[in-house]
Amino acid sequence: MSSSRCLRRISQLSLDRAGPSSIAPRCLLTLPQSSTFSTSAARNANPQGKKGSAAPPKRGTRTLNVKKGRKDAGKDAGKKPGPGERKAMRKRIVLSNNNALEVSGLKDLEKENALDGSTEGQMVGIHEDAVDVLRAVEAFKPSQGWSLFRRPATLMRKETTQLAQLLKQVEESEQSTTIRRVLVGEKLNGKSTLLLQGLMMASLREWTVISFPEAQELVNAHTEYAPLPGSNPTQYTQDAYTANLLSQFIKANNKLLLSSPLTTTPSLPHPLPPKPTVKQLADLGVANPEASWPVFTALWTELTQPGRPPILLALDGLSHIMQNSAYMSASTTPIHAHDLTLVRHFIDHLSGAKPLPNGGAVLAATCGSNSPTCEALDFSLQVAEARQGTPDKVPLWNQYKDVDARVMECMKDVEILRIRGLSKDEARVVMEYYAASGMLRARVDDGFVGEKWTLAGMGNIGELEKASVRLRVGAMGYR
Amino acid sequence: MPPRLNVLTLPRSIPYRPKPRAQWSVPSVTRRLPSQSRLYSDQKDSPPSNADRSKRTDAQPLPSISEEAKATAEARNEDGPRTEQGTPVEEIVKGDKAAQEKLPKVMQDALKAKSSGNTPKGSRSYSTTTTPTTTGGLDMGLVDFGFAPKAPEVPGVKFGLPTLPIPKDAHVKHRYDAVVDQVTNLLMEHGRKSVAQRNMSLILQHLRTSPIPTINPSRPLIPGAPPPSHLPLNPILYLTLAIDSVAPLMRIRSQKGAAGGGMALQIPVPLGQRQRRRTAVQWILGAASKRRNMGSGKGGFAQRIAQELIAVVEGRSGVWDRRNGVHKMGVAARANIVLPRKR
Repeated sequence: MSSSRCLRRISQLSLDRAGPSSIAPRCLLTLPQSSTFSTSAARNANPQGKKGSAAPPKRGTRTLNVKKGRKDAGKDAGKKPGPGERKAMRKRIVLSNNNALEVSGLKDLEKENALDGSTEGQMVGIHEDAVDVLRAVEAFKPSQGWSLFRRPATLMRKETTQLAQLLKQVEESEQSTTIRRVLVGEKLNGKSTLLLQGLMMASLREWTVISFPEAQELVNAHTEYAPLPGSNPTQYTQDAYTANLLSQFIKANNKLLLSSPLTTTPSLPHPLPPKPTVKQLADLGVANPEASWPVFTALWTELTQPGRPPILLALDGLSHIMQNSAYMSASTTPIHAHDLTLVRHFIDHLSGAKPLPNGGAVLAATCGSNSPTCEALDFSLQVAEARQGTPDKVPLWNQYKDVDARVMECMKDVEILRIRGLSKDEARVVMEYYAASGMLRARVDDGFVGEKWTLAGMGNIGELEKASVRLRVGAMGYR
Repeated sequence: MPPRLNVLTLPRSIPYRPKPRAQWSVPSVTRRLPSQSRLYSDQKDSPPSNADRSKRTDAQPLPSISEEAKATAEARNEDGPRTEQGTPVEEIVKGDKAAQEKLPKVMQDALKAKSSGNTPKGSRSYSTTTTPTTTGGLDMGLVDFGFAPKAPEVPGVKFGLPTLPIPKDAHVKHRYDAVVDQVTNLLMEHGRKSVAQRNMSLILQHLRTSPIPTINPSRPLIPGAPPPSHLPLNPILYLTLAIDSVAPLMRIRSQKGAAGGGMALQIPVPLGQRQRRRTAVQWILGAASKRRNMGSGKGGFAQRIAQELIAVVEGRSGVWDRRNGVHKMGVAARANIVLPRKR
């Protein structure tokens, strides 16, 4: 250390008594000013001796606890899992059970027979490629019973055939047709599964598939948000969510589409490589979440160019996006879900404000177990159902009640697809599949099927599964 | 409809052991009993008119007194009243066009109303009785079980006698497996049985999806146990096997003051089957609650219990040591048993 620097240090120390301790041993001036015969300074510095650590005792160690009524406190002394482990465990999707028997004669749904209705009333296996797509778009839910069987299979029920016919109609019409449907039905009736089947059929037919697996995640303010510059009224983008959606898009859509070159030249905040492909465009959004919304709009423009395949837009849990979101605006008023750009994008297509130029389908499923009350939505669905069934008896809104006008407006002319219970024939097919998988130990005959069909509330498939394969005794209807 | 799945052939051969199990048997899960569902009564050939819409016999209007008397007499094989006399005029002119034209206008109108099927003026516009909705209405799944109504063999019994012996699980209170019932009740906390039932279901589901257990030869399961490859496909059997294998044969009762010197005398007391199972389940629950909870949400405890059950079958659980300790103590204290003196 040079002498000039040393002097500077000393002059600084004189100004600041609490100087850096690293140079303390080298400078005489920094020694504590205390008498060597006194121990009070050292004692005051650490009055409790070594014991002073204020942290609570480690979990699982025995401590003296003399309070009364604490007998059972040490009963559950298992160590807690690390951060993130619990959620991973809860959200884990298992699609195979090695103990289950292989069902002979179970055929996969193929591209050729996906939409022709020849498999109605049969169990069909889900092809491995389709399984990958459905996994990527999180169409499998942890509460569904996929983990019990050898490999994923699904029943082509009556409603599935109806949906297949709608998709077929899109493919066969010369002009672009957009199918817009809300899937409604009772709790555990298979709405999410029907959505899954729609995604499966669309991906087999090489449609472009974009899915919002849980509408709740769009609005519960667990991801970041920012106002969209230049929007009036202010809209909000969700960059992290959009980037995740783009990465799901890359995983879920076929290689042919992804490797095709861009036909438009989007202006983006980040440069694209020369001769960009669709995948490179989407990758840009994944890599730069702050640019994910411009990338998404550019991608959408690209996908709606003439000659591109039809698009399936799907969303599960519709009522979450039909109310105020948990986000707050700068003036601390709640943001309506329709002011979020992604939700706006979906709602525009569901309401028919923006059609799909190459045709396609917009499907939204309601949820029976996790859905906030939304009277405007319920009413709109009632009206839609009445319009399809009894057009002379369309209900009227109670004029003395407040109404969410935006919801009423967007659900004005949407159609519904109601899912009812299985017929007994369908129930029998499903139960024969259960028995053939070794998961149901009973002879499947008319009496047995009728009994379970009745117990399951006239063929509610979720209840049927609970009563037969899940060995759930008693208390039907509770989870 | 295209052919359904073939359920009669299994893709994997299952070894079948016809040897009867001497010590331990598991009751079959299914039962075969002709269901004694009560069918709706048969329809009449055709109702006389639309005037009375009720299909129930007791709700229909009675015939005229003379007709009733005639029917009674016929059933008794006697001479009844002659119905030509005292019969309503409408019945006499029935099918006779010429006679009908000569009737008074009131009766002609009534006849017309009857033939055109309109409801008579005097009747209510609404029904005061319920109408069975077998046709076109809701199908509750109760009627079409496909059993032909049989003629009663025993007089006075409408639906025949039940086949004897009545299976054990035909009783409404004993319809589920005994072990499942007992474990469900032991799982229950604060009287919340539905939660316990859900946990039971999750336990069985976990057993069914877990890999085939490897049996530790030093911790043999009870004799007559099926091979481990059969267990995951029959989770109730798996559960029963795990519980019965570690169930202690006796408990140790401490008799105060019997040993002298302030010592308690250890006396082994045999346990019944239900008591043995109860002890085993409580040990297993205690061990499971000390396990580490891996996930979050509703199924955590069920998962730990299932893991403990698998550990029991694989011989890794500490419950075995506990049982062996009790048995050892029982053997050591067997001299303390006072048997009734032989005469």
